[in-house]
Amino acid sequence: MWYTWIILDKRTLKIPFASEKHALIAKQTIEVDPELQPHAVKRIITVEENVLIAAFSTLTIRLARLVANAFLENVDLVVRTLEQFGEEAENPPSS
Amino acid sequence: MHEIDCICFTKGPGMGAPLQSVALIARTLSLLFNKPLVGVNHCVGHIEMGREITGAQNPVVLYVSGGNTQVIAYSRQCYRIFGETLDIAVGNCLDRFARIINLSNDPSPGYNIEQEAKKGKRLVSLPYATKGMDVSLSGILSAVEAYTLDKRFHEEGAEDKDLITPQDLCFSLQETVFAMLVEITERAMAHIGSKEVLIVGGVGSNERLQQMMGIMAHERQGQVFATDERFCIDNGIMIAQAGLLSYRMGYETPLAKSTCTQRFRTDEVHVAWRN
Repeated sequence: MWYTWIILDKRTLKIPFASEKHALIAKQTIEVDPELQPHAVKRIITVEENVLIAAFSTLTIRLARLVANAFLENVDLVVRTLEQFGEEAENPPSS
Repeated sequence: MHEIDCICFTKGPGMGAPLQSVALIARTLSLLFNKPLVGVNHCVGHIEMGREITGAQNPVVLYVSGGNTQVIAYSRQCYRIFGETLDIAVGNCLDRFARIINLSNDPSPGYNIEQEAKKGKRLVSLPYATKGMDVSLSGILSAVEAYTLDKRFHEEGAEDKDLITPQDLCFSLQETVFAMLVEITERAMAHIGSKEVLIVGGVGSNERLQQMMGIMAHERQGQVFATDERFCIDNGIMIAQAGLLSYRMGYETPLAKSTCTQRFRTDEVHVAWRN
């Protein structure tokens, strides 16, 4: 599955999701884990309509690469889970 | 998925990256299907699966794996750690020695050490390091590794020569560390007057360990319970089992608290489902 993202300012990642609900799920899932180096990395995760937006500020370029990589790996896991189970979730059994 | 009651996941202890991967998926599913999360302690998972499979009532539990080595006994809604390793886990010790003597990892280094040990003929002297109720294993690993640099160490040779083979070292290592584990288990049994031993964790599938524990338990008119490899080795259903037991008592993990931690002591869990 292709997903498009745009980097702005070299510090912001924007990932569109299938719906606002999915984007919110991604935000709530990923933001639970704190950054491993809070003194060196500032992270703000927000949602605008169906787009997940992550803005990072880091003390070094190396950290920018690391946190972006880790964030995208987490997004990838969430996206694959949503892909696998999203349809089933939309169709609850009528009882 | 709509029919399930809750989603259980391992909160810890363990390695950070795998734990976090699972937590992310668990949280996603929890939000997608609106099901509560239940964070589970990995060690408690082993214990509850062992109790369920074997039917042991109130055993002293020897939890031995690559990452953990603990002697646990239940008392007043807590799995209390009576004794444990002061440094590395016994599975870690065995696996690292398997690598030193170039044993295959297929199916597992521990299994291959067990098979090689059966061909050992000579018991070499290794430090026997029980410290009260605890054990120390890193010194033994260094000692057995030192034997591989000994001039008597040879892969194979004539039987009448003064030889130490890798099989002899496997045998000696197993006999020594397992005897230590049997001793600290026996201390816990004597302390609380228990007659049952439950062995859980990957190293619990070692038949020599089960045999040695059986000899000790038999001398105390007790018995040993062990599961087969399907449940000794880490698995998902033990997490579901332990999670379900705590969920039934009303325990849930809120999303904000569903982080994972690499250090999570067995005795930090409130065992509400037993009295």
